[in-house]
Amino acid sequence: MFRRIAGFVMALGMLASWLLGCRPAAPSPVTLTIIMEQVPDTDVIRKLLPDFEKENPGIKVVIDAMPYDAMRDKILASFMAPRATYDVIIVDNPWMDEFVAGNFLEPLDDRIRGIPDYDFEDFVKPVRDIGVVGGKIYGIPFYNYALGLIVRQDLFDDPAYRDAYQKKYGKPLAPPTTLEDYVRIAQFFKEQSGGKIYGAAMQPQRGYKVFEEWKNWLYAAGGNLLDDQGKVILDRPEAVRALELYIEMYKTAAPPNSLNWGFDEALRSMAAGEAATMMSYNWMLPTLNNPQGPAGNLAGKFALYEVPGGKAVLGAWHWAIPRNAPNKDASWRFISWVTSKRVEKQRVILGGAPVRVSAMKDPEVWQKGFGQSYYETVLKILEDAEPLARGPKAEEIIQVVGTELNAAVAGEKTAEQALKDAAAQVRRILGQ
Amino acid sequence: MGHRDRRLGRRMVLPLILLLLAVQGYPMAFAVYISAHDYRLTALSEVRWVGLEQYRGLLDNPSYWTAMKNTLVFVFGAVSLELLLGFLVAYLLWRPVPAQNLFRAILLTPMFVTPIAVGLMFRFLLNNQLGIIPVWLRSLGLEIDWFGPDLALFSLILIDVWQWTPLMVLLLLAGLEALPVEPFEAARVDGASELQIIRHLTIPLIRPVMLAAILIRMLDAFRVFEYVYAITRGGPGERTETILFHIYRVGFLYFRLGEAAAMAITLALVIFVLVVLLFRSLRRQEALT
Repeated sequence: MFRRIAGFVMALGMLASWLLGCRPAAPSPVTLTIIMEQVPDTDVIRKLLPDFEKENPGIKVVIDAMPYDAMRDKILASFMAPRATYDVIIVDNPWMDEFVAGNFLEPLDDRIRGIPDYDFEDFVKPVRDIGVVGGKIYGIPFYNYALGLIVRQDLFDDPAYRDAYQKKYGKPLAPPTTLEDYVRIAQFFKEQSGGKIYGAAMQPQRGYKVFEEWKNWLYAAGGNLLDDQGKVILDRPEAVRALELYIEMYKTAAPPNSLNWGFDEALRSMAAGEAATMMSYNWMLPTLNNPQGPAGNLAGKFALYEVPGGKAVLGAWHWAIPRNAPNKDASWRFISWVTSKRVEKQRVILGGAPVRVSAMKDPEVWQKGFGQSYYETVLKILEDAEPLARGPKAEEIIQVVGTELNAAVAGEKTAEQALKDAAAQVRRILGQ
Repeated sequence: MGHRDRRLGRRMVLPLILLLLAVQGYPMAFAVYISAHDYRLTALSEVRWVGLEQYRGLLDNPSYWTAMKNTLVFVFGAVSLELLLGFLVAYLLWRPVPAQNLFRAILLTPMFVTPIAVGLMFRFLLNNQLGIIPVWLRSLGLEIDWFGPDLALFSLILIDVWQWTPLMVLLLLAGLEALPVEPFEAARVDGASELQIIRHLTIPLIRPVMLAAILIRMLDAFRVFEYVYAITRGGPGERTETILFHIYRVGFLYFRLGEAAAMAITLALVIFVLVVLLFRSLRRQEALT
């Protein structure tokens, strides 16, 4: 009996020493799993990865790319787990405050201070501010999706259109800078082309899309969702005017039956030569002007301007580290590498949407990328831009307002009623 | 059966009962529990008891009522159309037809496609820019906005009808084939017309099967989610926001699981009441015949 117990104890001891002994011996390489969206900007990151792994031999990066709709649930599930599934996540701007409020993200201030030449201030201010919550930095800008006005420059330069416009309105035909001009020019293109070219490919789809497009109109009319004190001002006369003009545009100058159109449909319409203008992400310009891209023969005929009124809706993705991530140092190694000035420049040259001022002012980027005027316009757009909504309830506010706007465009409610209902719901969400 | 046998029998079903409790009982009990709590995934440290507050909140939540109404319209519209079409097709197939097995197999195929794929398929078939159906309609001079505010819910009903009428056919055909032949022969000998036979013989005889088929389809139609998710996302406005999609939105987009659970439980109650009513009428029919 005693011998049996002694044997057991010895075996246990050997097992323990074996377990303890093997632990520090070989530091296995760290694998970072990153959740990303299936978009071209992710492909750019994929192209950069071999360089990162060469410079950091101990770290392997795996990108888990998926459609947008799947991301929010997966990120949250990863937050809930005792050990995060994702070492690095990307955060869409409406989620930022909510994730910080849930105490899910790691503050990055100390880590940023630890890299002397990182230059956090180099990120364009409105984009950088999204990642700052309550005075602390939680997200580092990845890429922007601010809105701009994309037009068919060849139509605006066409002498026939120019003369007709001059004769009719007594002023030269040029990309619009006010809402009234925008509606008038869009109607003009539709009439003048005999209905072959619509004035604007719009995106009145329920939810995020319609709010994202219309809020540019709201800014141009001098309105906003909240005032400086955070009070809801969505039912003010400026907003009603912006929505009435938007609906007029939809009814008189947009392609018929486009009430459900989102990003894809508007892009297709523009690429097919069906529409003269659209409000879309600034980086759609290089896509449309790419001869191998969707626009085919029309490539090269598109140009980017600031939206009418100048102030644009800002969207942006940020890199962040979950609090429950197991290898935070390695996560930060990757984020600080990919967002450094040096790599940002490479990323933008490869076609990534810029977020650092230095990259947008770099002559090498202009030359190898899409030209000086493009980057200068993008910088101007980003400098005067504001996200759709902020705060921990941003996602819900966006959905609720986007539902009311879509109902108004569908003719189910008047503009005034829809905005009144939207404002009431936002007040309820914010507890005002 | 002896006393010991019965005890053995009970012991043998015990694992199954435990399994059911674990995989069905626990989630249901948990849903009831969180429906009485302010349970938000993004604020798990602030979970607190709120009693029936979330249920009361549903009373003056217009989106909830719109979604409930849309769902009821969808269920009644889809199931009645499916019943009508399904009966017609089953009736036509209820006779020797050449290559009848092949016919039936082809007819049943829509059922085997996963609903999300059906949703995506129709999204593109009916798409104004890319779809083949608008192209055909345009060549006939028709311009129909399938997913506009007036037609969107109806379009979703039609998609459901396309996919699930075959199930109706399958069930009703099985019912028809099980009917005794004598009453029909007797009716024909007495000179009853085809319509009289359908009205006074066929329909009353297969009524129990019809009710069972309606029940199966109804329970399924209440869970409509995939078409909405793939095509309209509840739009335009809230015209196609169904209750399940709304629950998904509140629970998994806004992360307010407590409120979503409260909605799910009210939905379960509505379905329960409808099922009881259907069973009642089924019983009454049986008592009459």
